[in-house]
Amino acid sequence: MEINFVGLACALATFFGIWWGHVSVRKIEREVVNLWIPTVGALLLGGAFLTASFLTSNLALSAASGILAVTLFWDALEIAVRQPRRIIRGEAPANPNNPRHARILAQYPAATTVDLHEHEPIGRQYTPQEIAAMKERAA
Amino acid sequence: MNTFGLWMGLAALFIIGMGFVWVIRGERYLGFLWWPYIIALGAACIVGALFVANDWASGLLGAAGASLIWGATELKEQAVRGELGWYPFNGKKIPPPFVDVIRKWKAPSL
Repeated sequence: MEINFVGLACALATFFGIWWGHVSVRKIEREVVNLWIPTVGALLLGGAFLTASFLTSNLALSAASGILAVTLFWDALEIAVRQPRRIIRGEAPANPNNPRHARILAQYPAATTVDLHEHEPIGRQYTPQEIAAMKERAA
Repeated sequence: MNTFGLWMGLAALFIIGMGFVWVIRGERYLGFLWWPYIIALGAACIVGALFVANDWASGLLGAAGASLIWGATELKEQAVRGELGWYPFNGKKIPPPFVDVIRKWKAPSL
């Protein structure tokens, strides 16, 4: 039986595309003041991968490049729109040293510098008082 | 021009999007402790993809396997999101087989 590497290439591109996007979006959005710069960067890099996927005749390379391109396009949307919304809602920690985040912290009461994900599951819902205490402890 | 990558990329985006759905629903009804089984299923999909002759089927199976593995690493954070009230919380989850053993293992989170 012949081994087909298209699936493995797709698996690697999907996993590392999501992983890289997940980590880098959080890091970049946290540090950068002008989000249009990394947004355009992600779009250009995605465009480069898409072009590469068009030009290669190797199906595994084409698939991996296509998946990386699409995940980079999605990352651009995450950087520009979705992650800032999470900061506003307090679902991701704001960086008080970033002037853009400092403005969000001043304007939106739900925004916080605390990463509320940094807990082990406890098997029940937190009370509003417990959540408030978590935010105050770190403040 | 080879459009295989573009279509595979769009299919992977759909698979990843469905990953968000099953992580939310799966954690709500089953709980995050199912993560070893999900990782095993994802790995089986990827290994299986190596032996599928059809390129489309192999690619989709590989992407689905990777999405399952990624989703398994998201289950713990999703459990915390439910406990924080960001998503509906269900206190009566279905425990996985060997739950006491799995509880001693550190759940992956990337």
